[in-house]
Amino acid sequence: MICPRCDSNTAEKIVDAPKDKSWEVYLCSTCGFSWRSTEDEAITDPARYDKKFKLEPAVLDSLLAIPPVPPLKESVKKD
Amino acid sequence: MAYKDLREFLAKLEEQQQLVRVRDEVMPEPDLSAAGRAAPNIENGPAVFFEKIKGYHNPAVLNVHGSWANHALMLGMPKNTTIKEQFYELDKRWSKFPVKPRWVSCGPVKEIKIKENINLFEVLPLFRVNRYDGGFYISKALVISKDIDDYDNYRKQNVGTYRLQVKGKDLLGIQALPFHDIGIHLRKAEEINEPLPVAICIGNDPVLTFMASTPIEYDQSEYEFAGALREEPVELTKSETGNLDIPCAAEVVLEGYIIPRKRNVEGPFGEFPGSYSGARLQAEIKIHTITHRVNPIFENLYLGIPWTEIDYLMALNTSIPLYRQIKDSMPEVVAVNAMYTHGIGTIISTKSRFGGYGKAVAMRLLSTPHGMPYSKIVIVVDEYVDPFNLPQVMWALTTRVRPDKDVVLIPSAPGMPLDPTSEPPGMHTKLIIDATTPVAPDVICRETELLATPYKTDEWEKIIRRLLNEKGVSK
Ligand SMILES: [Zn+2]
Repeated sequence: MICPRCDSNTAEKIVDAPKDKSWEVYLCSTCGFSWRSTEDEAITDPARYDKKFKLEPAVLDSLLAIPPVPPLKESVKKD
Repeated sequence: MAYKDLREFLAKLEEQQQLVRVRDEVMPEPDLSAAGRAAPNIENGPAVFFEKIKGYHNPAVLNVHGSWANHALMLGMPKNTTIKEQFYELDKRWSKFPVKPRWVSCGPVKEIKIKENINLFEVLPLFRVNRYDGGFYISKALVISKDIDDYDNYRKQNVGTYRLQVKGKDLLGIQALPFHDIGIHLRKAEEINEPLPVAICIGNDPVLTFMASTPIEYDQSEYEFAGALREEPVELTKSETGNLDIPCAAEVVLEGYIIPRKRNVEGPFGEFPGSYSGARLQAEIKIHTITHRVNPIFENLYLGIPWTEIDYLMALNTSIPLYRQIKDSMPEVVAVNAMYTHGIGTIISTKSRFGGYGKAVAMRLLSTPHGMPYSKIVIVVDEYVDPFNLPQVMWALTTRVRPDKDVVLIPSAPGMPLDPTSEPPGMHTKLIIDATTPVAPDVICRETELLATPYKTDEWEKIIRRLLNEKGVSK
């Protein structure tokens, strides 16, 4: 399934509603976006998702890491 | 008086007409966040309890801390207690620190244990907090972790509130900033490539949530502070894994570990400055165990353009440590109001020992552990100005400030990265406005004679408030 936020074809259903199967939740493995099938189209439809909040898969690796991964301690490197 | 758990506090709120129950079925979106936004817009807004949420088994509650009335009730005070009175009561109880916790063998939180097929959606009625959030967030949990260099020292154990993005049935993203205590725990674990065990406790005695969001020192125990504030020890029990101390009466505990040396996309999230944080690469938590009470209540928090629940939750608990840290070396300080966006704006009232003292007080704030990154705009007023009374503060700004000498800018100082004006993220220009009256050797422009408060005014304030109460007017 297409992710509404990053347009990758990497979204999958992760759960059904615990009660009455009244909705499903989808998650994109590329950008981590998740949504519920009962949310409005501006959230669930890739064509209507607000452009300001779209995420290009190409930029994901260059996002700021908070906190940065610290260097390994010398003693651990030797193991 | 102390509340033993969230349920007891909700009962108190309901008795005091500070909780409303929504009995009709609601949709997770947009109903929950809309109600979470609406409640604090109402003067002395109530907590909102949702009994039925479409597709879920369990209820949710929002805005538990979201008004001064609820905040006063949390402290066991009458619901119409003024902010300044709540400030001084908190300060008084702060002196009782430490009150050691009591460890008990088991608690209601262990009524149900789940160790396989973890599915957060089965237990928690998750919902999107703000429209363009990257996912569903757990925004009000206590996240408990330990210092791996001193693992049995419960004082270095941290109980903090961090935003948690649900990124799978058993996976969460966490924002652990380097200056947060959990950021220190995580760095130490990652330096040796070890997973960091965490317990995420949802639905708690309101004082525990309050303390988890209070900026105290690294080796001070949130549990010992909570004991001081509630005037009774906190009851703790052990987590199933990781030897962490958890409140025995929490509604739900998620246990897992932060995956070492890995970052993944997290966010954005509508944050306390009233804007979205960006998407960033942040750490992830694998959940492997859930324990919970029967019919657990999901306590969560809406945050948006102030004021929302988080602004009540983070108001006086930010003010008190700053007040104490400054007063420690500057006893002339009378009160500190750090209620605006976690202290990004802070108002301090003080007597002036000598010329320029107001500026020195502001600089002291900017060198405290919390004031250093967070505080950007500091206003200093005279000792007789109530820093919680904004019309009085405006009076001081308009009649006591000479802009050419009382307004100071300090460029390129530490800042709060979630403040959208921090540039680069994590650096600020600081603004100090000294609105105190000049004292010698400063040049005193003109002598003025202040109007005094009539004798017995305090007493009459109390009488009038009591009369209002007796008539059932809840102001
Ligand atoms: Zn995506």
